[in-house]
Amino acid sequence: SACMGPASPLCAFVPQVTHYKQYPPNTSKVYSYFECRETRTEPTKNRKVKYDKTVFYGLQYILHKYLKGKVVTPEKIQEAKEVYREHFQDDVFNEKGWNYILEKYDGHLPIEIKAVPEGSVIPRGNVLFTVESTDPECYWLTNWVETILVQIWYPITVATNSREQKKILAKFLLETSGNLTGLELKLHDFGYRGVSSQETAGIGASAHLVNFKGTDTVAGIGVIKKYYGTKDPVPGFSVPAAEHSTITAWGKDHEKDAFEHIIKQFPNVPVSIVSDSYDIYNACEKIWGEDLRSLIVSRSADAPLVVRPDSGDPLDTVLKVLEILGKKFPPTENSLGYRVLPPYIRVIQGDGVDINTLQEIVEGLKEQKWSIENISFGSGGALLQKLTRDLLNCSFKCSYVVTNGLGVNVFKDPVADPNKRSKKGRLSLHRTQSGHFVTLEEGKGDLEEYGVDLLHTVFQNGKIVKTYTFDDVRDNAKLKDTEKEELLK
Amino acid sequence: VNPITHYKQYPPNVSKIYSYFECRCKKGSPFNEVVFFGLQYLLKKYLTGAVVTEEKIQQAKVFYQMHFRQTVFDEDGWRKILEKYDGRLPIRIKAVPEGRVVPRGNVLFTVENTDPEFFWLTNYVETMLVQMWYPITVATVSREFKKILAKHLRASSGSIEGLDTRLHDFGYRGVSSQESAALGGAAHLVNFCSTDTVAGLLMAQRYYSCPMAGFSIPAAEHSTIISWGRSREKEAFEQMLEQFPTSPVSVVSDSYDIFKACKHIWGDKLKDRVMERSEDSCLVIRPDSGDPTETLLQVIQILEECFGSSVNSMGYKLLPSYLRIIQGDGIDLGSIEQKLRDEGWSSENVFFGCGSALLQKINRDTLNCAFKCSYVENNGQGMDVYKLPMTDPSKGSKKGQLTLSRNSDGLLETLEKGVGKPEEDLLVKVFENGSLLQDYSLEEIRRKAQLTEEDEVAPPRHNGEHKGSGGGLHILNGQH
Repeated sequence: SACMGPASPLCAFVPQVTHYKQYPPNTSKVYSYFECRETRTEPTKNRKVKYDKTVFYGLQYILHKYLKGKVVTPEKIQEAKEVYREHFQDDVFNEKGWNYILEKYDGHLPIEIKAVPEGSVIPRGNVLFTVESTDPECYWLTNWVETILVQIWYPITVATNSREQKKILAKFLLETSGNLTGLELKLHDFGYRGVSSQETAGIGASAHLVNFKGTDTVAGIGVIKKYYGTKDPVPGFSVPAAEHSTITAWGKDHEKDAFEHIIKQFPNVPVSIVSDSYDIYNACEKIWGEDLRSLIVSRSADAPLVVRPDSGDPLDTVLKVLEILGKKFPPTENSLGYRVLPPYIRVIQGDGVDINTLQEIVEGLKEQKWSIENISFGSGGALLQKLTRDLLNCSFKCSYVVTNGLGVNVFKDPVADPNKRSKKGRLSLHRTQSGHFVTLEEGKGDLEEYGVDLLHTVFQNGKIVKTYTFDDVRDNAKLKDTEKEELLK
Repeated sequence: VNPITHYKQYPPNVSKIYSYFECRCKKGSPFNEVVFFGLQYLLKKYLTGAVVTEEKIQQAKVFYQMHFRQTVFDEDGWRKILEKYDGRLPIRIKAVPEGRVVPRGNVLFTVENTDPEFFWLTNYVETMLVQMWYPITVATVSREFKKILAKHLRASSGSIEGLDTRLHDFGYRGVSSQESAALGGAAHLVNFCSTDTVAGLLMAQRYYSCPMAGFSIPAAEHSTIISWGRSREKEAFEQMLEQFPTSPVSVVSDSYDIFKACKHIWGDKLKDRVMERSEDSCLVIRPDSGDPTETLLQVIQILEECFGSSVNSMGYKLLPSYLRIIQGDGIDLGSIEQKLRDEGWSSENVFFGCGSALLQKINRDTLNCAFKCSYVENNGQGMDVYKLPMTDPSKGSKKGQLTLSRNSDGLLETLEKGVGKPEEDLLVKVFENGSLLQDYSLEEIRRKAQLTEEDEVAPPRHNGEHKGSGGGLHILNGQH
């Protein structure tokens, strides 16, 4: 079973196994596309965050890891045949079809994928990539690779949700300090222990790094280096940080000794120290504020102590911590009239942070006249796990087939849910004169009235023909000036 | 938090760090007990054998230099593991046997270093082991669904025959990665044997000695129906019946109009062909849009009008045996089963498919999974340690060395502070110094996780308020 592992496209979603028998006879092409559907009708839940646009990211990982090169061997075909025979208690596996690919293409997949450049920020309801079979015998292959391609929902959703949080942070940082210094380190990835697998950790963490540079999920860096590449030695950074065990291991009456030891271990870099093992307020007031005060005030602006609460209502706790620290380490007022703690002390809130609480906390801080310069955030489960394919309605659908030599535009349109309607025919993505994105259906993009198709061929017959570096991705996804202006309105 | 710098943070002279994993109790949670599953996968894949190599040490050193912008990596520490133990990890893990069902708030496994020099190792493997939250949560949620299905199946048909095919895993395309699909898929297979997530089957095969853990039937998808064109839905349906004459076949029927499809195509144009089929080759109609309960009820009514129904021994209606329904779209299992029965329909009529609610719409907070240090040794002296934030006492952790045993009432409980007797400890050594010491098969895991009579009859004891007829399992609608 070693050769059939999850990395093989033979390991499909079961329904696909029998689909080659279900298409109309004499079908010679199946063409499908992927989008993050719009919800056109009133949602039953009134979501606070709209997610109007999505960040396209993660296709290159899937292409490299699962689809490129020789993906079938005689052994894999044999094994798949046996597994599916047992699973269906019937011989339904398309052995002939896979052997054809093995013989004619040396195991390379005869499909073509065209996609929007990675990192592109595109409004909902537009085509993001298309997939079609390139050999009439392999019409069924388009649908076979669907499951693996649809998992792109995850990096897209992480990157999109992370970017929306960046906008929130940018707005409030700008409003309370006048600039965006340090924005890229304001939301730190704490998600490693909260994801469902090592592989998810890598993909998700890399998606967050499209927008930010702080991470504790090291696996993400591995994904970036291996599948995208950057000009910098590493795309993400971290600082030494304590954890409850490194504090509680000293014993309940030795919290001060723990704090002192750790802060002395890391004199020249920022150090984050979780302070709520027993009583966060006492820790801030007595230990940090009095017992160890001298060790803190001697630290430089490049190496602050970062106090980390980790329990209680996020906004209330942060405000109370800031008040207490403010009494012990008097803040100054910045040019916009907001209070800033001295540069040797900061706060990081890493508990219960999601896009909604993030908004609440920064609003609350601003209202109490605290600058966002004082604080950074960590997010775990909400950043990398508490997301589903439904958040952005990611969907892969067939829109065009060729049967008996004739092209047919196909679609679904369920009577009970117009939101689930899919696009028709061959698709292309264009920009209008006014700069808006538009998806043309039914092959209308051929008419060239709308100019060039923004979808580029990235994969063809087993080869990756266009790649993006992580720097390209970051560049495409950065906050535009127009967006920054919008934030301040 | 990255554990890389922790070796510098512990007290000097610390020689042992002992940590444990639990699914903390949480007031108001609908889940009172958890299924322990998945550790064997993590151990076999990531921790067994010689996992530290010189190459990895070098890579890590370079990497962490850049990541932290300074030298924090404990190169010496890791090299000592390489030299002294050939790269095998000097830790000991004791765990509840896989498949065991344990009430919340109990220790599920413990981790400690076996060599005083490597006290920092316990914490280091924590991040990976905390990911146990996932297979535990999937297996638990899946089993809770099983309880609901069992209750309604028994009440409406007199037995729970066929229970383990009633909830089909549709979750493959909605998970975050292939590895998660495999692990989540396998966890579902602890309770059921119907799945479309092939990766789960392979995981069960490779890591839990099960040659074939699950089954499925040929199924249409929207693309294979719509590719015939709007005016040829009947031909598309007919193709399904023709291509798969001897096995059950599932046909999604809502591409354009589910009600018309049932009434005019299945119930009229193709009626004879449907009636030709047997119980072993039944047609399973799949709606996939609209309000799940309303749509299901309307569909079953239309089918009754076209094909008739009979009454079973418990007085509930049954569609003819060649015809069934599978509902796989956004369901609240408890409430849909209840409505079916309220309308006089047996649960035998409907199968369920579950996608992201099973494999993705869960997180570490669903069962409050936590890994915490509870005991250390400094200068040879043992000390019980814990956290107890006054800002949230529910986040408090257990103290000292722990055992899991049965008390005088026969209930499982965790004994803290080393008071438990080793011979009564239900935790078993599963890993020590690089070697796997237990090898559970899916078969034994399934046996341990079976529903008991109690599970079906008594509603789950809640920690908090009882929430309505559904038993509080709102997870399928994304609220939890």
